[in-house]
Amino acid sequence: MTDNVSPIAARGDESPGLVRRLRNLEPSNLLWILLFGVLVVLVVGPIGFLLKVSFQEGGNGAFTFDNYIEAYGRWRYLQALINSCLLGACTAALSVVFAVPMAWAVSRTNMPAKWFAWASVLGAFILPPYLTSIGWILIAGPNSGWLNEGWRWVTGAEAPLFNIYSFFGMVLMIALNAFPFIFLFTKAGLDMISTEMEEAAAILGSPTWYTSLRITLPLVWPSILGGIIIVFLESIALFGVPAILGIPARINLVTTQLFQFFGYPFKMEVAAAYAMPLLLITVSLIYVQRLLLNRKGFVTQTGKGGERRELEIGRWKWALLAWCGFVGALAMYLPGYTMVVASFSEAWGKGLSFSNLTLANYYDILFVSRLTQEAIVNSFYFAGVAAFCALGLALCVAYIVTRGLVPFANVLAFLCMAPFVIPGIVLAIGFYAAYAPPPLSLYGTSAIIIVAFIARFLPISYGTAAAGMRSINPEMEEAVRVLGGGRLTAIRHVVAPLLKKTLFAGFLLVFIPATRELSAAIFLVGPNSRVMSVLIFDMTEEGRFEAVAAIGCIILVTTTFFVWLGFKLVGRDFMMRTNH
Amino acid sequence: MKKLLTTVALAFAAATAPALAQDMSPEVQALYDAAKEEGELTWYVAQFSTGLAEDMGAIFTEKYPGVVVNVIRATGQVVYARLAQDVRAGVAQADVFSGSDIGHLHELKKQGQLMEFTPPDADTVREPFKDMQPGFWYATTANPTVMAYNTDQVSAEDAPKNWSDLTDPKWKGVLAVTHPGFSGSAGSWAVLMKKLYGHEFFEGIRDNDPYIGRSMIDPPTVIAAGERGVGIAVFSVAVRNKLAGNPIEIIYPTDGSKLTFGGTAVLANAPHPNAAKLFVNFMLGKEVSELQVKSGLLPVHKDVSPPEGVRSLEEIPLADLTEEEVVEGVQPIIEEWRDVFGG
Repeated sequence: MTDNVSPIAARGDESPGLVRRLRNLEPSNLLWILLFGVLVVLVVGPIGFLLKVSFQEGGNGAFTFDNYIEAYGRWRYLQALINSCLLGACTAALSVVFAVPMAWAVSRTNMPAKWFAWASVLGAFILPPYLTSIGWILIAGPNSGWLNEGWRWVTGAEAPLFNIYSFFGMVLMIALNAFPFIFLFTKAGLDMISTEMEEAAAILGSPTWYTSLRITLPLVWPSILGGIIIVFLESIALFGVPAILGIPARINLVTTQLFQFFGYPFKMEVAAAYAMPLLLITVSLIYVQRLLLNRKGFVTQTGKGGERRELEIGRWKWALLAWCGFVGALAMYLPGYTMVVASFSEAWGKGLSFSNLTLANYYDILFVSRLTQEAIVNSFYFAGVAAFCALGLALCVAYIVTRGLVPFANVLAFLCMAPFVIPGIVLAIGFYAAYAPPPLSLYGTSAIIIVAFIARFLPISYGTAAAGMRSINPEMEEAVRVLGGGRLTAIRHVVAPLLKKTLFAGFLLVFIPATRELSAAIFLVGPNSRVMSVLIFDMTEEGRFEAVAAIGCIILVTTTFFVWLGFKLVGRDFMMRTNH
Repeated sequence: MKKLLTTVALAFAAATAPALAQDMSPEVQALYDAAKEEGELTWYVAQFSTGLAEDMGAIFTEKYPGVVVNVIRATGQVVYARLAQDVRAGVAQADVFSGSDIGHLHELKKQGQLMEFTPPDADTVREPFKDMQPGFWYATTANPTVMAYNTDQVSAEDAPKNWSDLTDPKWKGVLAVTHPGFSGSAGSWAVLMKKLYGHEFFEGIRDNDPYIGRSMIDPPTVIAAGERGVGIAVFSVAVRNKLAGNPIEIIYPTDGSKLTFGGTAVLANAPHPNAAKLFVNFMLGKEVSELQVKSGLLPVHKDVSPPEGVRSLEEIPLADLTEEEVVEGVQPIIEEWRDVFGG
């Protein structure tokens, strides 16, 4: 009997207290709870479920270690891990070769036409790596790419000059896309160093090249290393290039192996276990990177920089300019041009001629094929909604964090930034594990992709929103409130107009990458929620490169337009910031 | 808005329907009436290229206004993986499934995922298509896996004659094959190779450093484009490329081609069952067969003749491989392949 009574009595005791406590809640506290709940769904849920299912048996959910045993119990799977790390390291090394001379030239020397280097960097950003690869397949397919055909014609050799379907092919493709990270980090580091030390070395008779190698370069080494870490992490988490180039070349990587676990037989639990190294490597390397960049041991990096004079490097400036052009050509102009030509061709093998010219590829994509029409609409629709929601969420959090409205606001800031250390492909598996099955059953819906995109790009939104918010002095809002206006009035008439630029930047910085995101989308798309990037991936397997190139050009043109819009509305440093 | 569109579509459909009504049997008419209510269907398909599948969908909607086809095309293993995920997630998204690995259909039937249904026009199909599981799935493609070579790069005397010639070191760097882990028809091809030549065949192929496509469409496409010289090929794509004037020639291996049947079925929990049934019936009809012939495929309908200038099915030497051997063999062969090729 007593067993039945006591819970009721207890409830009777408790509920008025709870109601009283709820009644005393401030609106801002309510907002905190709401935001916290949203962030738990976006960030904590997927990672929690990822961990949970990695210890669960498929089907019945019983606790087991078998997934880990299966994931690491086969040489082929371990080989993929090694391959990925190797790929990351080689890509980072090649990116350094591409980027450091460019950064040095732009920051320290009197190289003419510096915008030329910037154009190369921007071009590399505009072309996503899977499109660079498709452009390069047309250039350097071992037998039919024009580069190798030309090489054979000139030299009479049998072997191709460069086979894109190779390990080095993948390294080159990713490096051509990722070198801007190292460029931006290195340039930021170089901009902070005054020329005094270089001048001292020059007075002591050191030649310019010696000074640069022994004095300047070591000073920016932490910045370069920071960039290397980012490139390494980008490379190991990438899906498109390994899938398009690695599968034909028989090189297995972590991301393609994860995709295999999502095939038949379907082993999501093993995939979750197999994704752990990717997650751990990313978390620990980002930590190392933060330590490196925050290190204050380099007294020359005083933040403002002393006097800076451009180095006179004589004829070498032309060599450097040529290098910038060369990198830009490899990253953007060559593959971009080849893709545009292919998209207007009847058969890409036939080359550029009037009889080969056609608009049919575009006509099919835009007016005939329902598949491509839907994918194009979906891409922009998902990206738009995701960018809008991520920005809204980031602004709310940034506002209450910078204004210190509630205690523990920093928890929210931390959660907003957390996805930065989660590779997109791992995040997608987490979202699948958490929300695809019942009770939510978001499997195959547009919602699961949009929500995953929000989580994936939330750190970018938050970074932009917090920077914008910090730049506004709270005194202005206080003035409104002194004059009798409420907080909402202050936000509407003071904060919002001042933040206009931040809002544009925050929206575009998420919208642009979201329209072309592949790694996070590949596991989450359903029959009616396919996006352009996934469609491109599907179409490469049929060899329809003309149609693929046409979709690629649509991505290219729209991205270029939005980047241009960004520069127009936001200003010159749009997309070129190093603070993530 | 959506409702308005539907109403307009229905009104339009009603206006055009009488013209078509004459050549529709009462069963088909009844299916169509029910299908119009459902308005659409989702078709998971591996047998045809994206373009061809979309064309079929468009012709279907032309013939049956008011019923739209959502085409989801991927390779055989990928499409089946998708369906298996749907089943596991408990979400029914697909109405019609057209697989290129007959083992998948057996497995689905065993799990009770297929709807028992006999299309009204089932008796108009050609002979080799008839020996299928009546009442569950219907063969919609009979596509031999053959070999092909690029006539600009390889002379007829030099070209391989049987499958094991592909392991000849002279094809190093010019060979193209397909990964059985993605493609359904490559799966049964690999089972046949294992049966004929054993494990060494795969090692010989690997040592020739082949281009590995994800789809059976891939090798003949890269051979026609000149990217590769010789390789395995799905008959229809090789034929289509040959008819289009590309420098490609078909080899009928002396040790026998692998004939792959692709089956089409209605799923048991299809969200649009009537549209699905109507569509499967349509797949067996003349319009689809005519389209198939244009794409180098062998027609299903008995009144449509096969493409010209290539051998008909009766003239192609076929290898002996039972359905059971394929059903049992595909999953192990995928693992074996991955261990040999490293991915």
